[in-house]
Amino acid sequence: MAQFLQQLVNGISIGSIYALMAVGYSLVYSIMNFSNFAHGSVIMLGAYFGYFCLTLLGLPFGLAFFLAACGTALVAVVIERLAYKPLRDRKAPFLYFIITAMGMSIFIDNGVIATIGPTPKIFPLARLPEFIRGGTIKLGVVEVGRVDVAMFVITVICLVALIFFIDYTRVGKAIQATAYNMKASALMGINTSFIIILVFAIGGALAGVAGVLYGIKYQVYPQMSGITMKSFIAAVFGGLGSLPGALLGSLLLALIETFVSGYLSTQLRDIFSFLILIAMLVIRPSGIMGKSMEDKA
Amino acid sequence: MSLLGIRDLHVSYGGIRALKGVSLDVEPGEIVTIIGANGAGKSTLLNTVSGFLKPTGGYVEFKGQRVGRSPAKIVKAGVCHVPEGRLVFANLSVQDNLSLGAYLRSDRRKMAVDLDRVYALFPRLKERMRQQAGTLSGGEQQMLAMGRALMTDGELVLMDEPSLGLAPLLVKTVFDIILEFRDLGKTILLVEQNAFKALAIADRAYVLEQGKVVKEGKASEVAQDPAVRAAYLGSKSSDGKSD
Repeated sequence: MAQFLQQLVNGISIGSIYALMAVGYSLVYSIMNFSNFAHGSVIMLGAYFGYFCLTLLGLPFGLAFFLAACGTALVAVVIERLAYKPLRDRKAPFLYFIITAMGMSIFIDNGVIATIGPTPKIFPLARLPEFIRGGTIKLGVVEVGRVDVAMFVITVICLVALIFFIDYTRVGKAIQATAYNMKASALMGINTSFIIILVFAIGGALAGVAGVLYGIKYQVYPQMSGITMKSFIAAVFGGLGSLPGALLGSLLLALIETFVSGYLSTQLRDIFSFLILIAMLVIRPSGIMGKSMEDKA
Repeated sequence: MSLLGIRDLHVSYGGIRALKGVSLDVEPGEIVTIIGANGAGKSTLLNTVSGFLKPTGGYVEFKGQRVGRSPAKIVKAGVCHVPEGRLVFANLSVQDNLSLGAYLRSDRRKMAVDLDRVYALFPRLKERMRQQAGTLSGGEQQMLAMGRALMTDGELVLMDEPSLGLAPLLVKTVFDIILEFRDLGKTILLVEQNAFKALAIADRAYVLEQGKVVKEGKASEVAQDPAVRAAYLGSKSSDGKSD
């Protein structure tokens, strides 16, 4: 029983970080109908931004965290303006967007290797505030890492704020309208270019938060963007384009992964993740809560 | 001065010259209809006025000024467009759809008055205000699209095939509502395949053929024209056919 609860807690903790990353994929997909594979690289950059703000600039943790999120928001918007907008203006097929996104990802990852180098960086524990430093907290029979608790709490705060923004504000409704139909939104006077920039900025900021948290829990290294493939699977699993779907998919995927590693074997974990992806694509391509393929071809 | 002036408009897209020098005027308070066969360029014309297509020649004037370049700016200037196929936001509630119509407005008091007016005009929408727009019937969605346009508070309303795909009884309702729009002070440019009904309510009409205006005049006179009768009024099979 104790082991079960422990795995459950681990799963929720990893699920929360997947969710933070998956939301970025989903938001962009809901408006633009393509999977922004450059998102993983933006997450990686966020981890580096946080690391350098803390070490090189010697900024306090809160400020470093904030600047990392701003930095990735900016990077995401620059990617959209430089790489995707020219395609949109030419009404390019969606395949071009995906290929461009992959190209951006390769460019950024290798740019980091060439300039900063491939050696992993580790967040200096001494510079981190108490609540996110190593060590564990005992909750009854379960032991939880402080990082995991911090990750969970920060994720919940970010996602609640996001959902509130999307569901209850005027601009949030405009995002939903644009996701449903760009032409009709423009007919309401919604500036759809602004909405696209905004969505990239939000996804980018969340990527920065996720990158810093992930970097603290593990390490900061150029291939981090590969790890974020899991959050992409989570987004597809839950239903690309659906915010609740991204959350549910992330939680379920992380739970399945931790239980497989805990009860079967760690080596089988990733096989299971991708099996789930394949099974989902075969049985229900739109995911658990995704929009049906008819209205979003 | 006319409210909307279209001057020698040329529009091409996908290698097709869809409009070849169209000029027309809409005076304040009028209902003007554009009739013509499928592919004559009627929808192209409306989409150019609302900024979705860029003219290759000629221009569009609204209140004597060239219209802005983006659809959002054109809406702000006072042109609202009820698109073909209604395009309601199926994922949002009826109420949210109507609020999005008023997206650019900040005159809260008048917005509330307009919302009451929409619900008075369309009691069905009031009953279903919390329902997702995607669950409405086709006729109700058309009413929502028209209500949303009222919320935009534009002086000029462009309507693209509002009766398309509706049952005959609802078609009548839609045309009655267009007349109510005029009573509310709106000016209407109506594109319709149901030429018979459109000519019956319009003040003036333009006949569009292959991207050109081939006939214009008072709606009652256009309706009497033998060539128009033969082409558009002879058979009523054009009712509710989609393209």
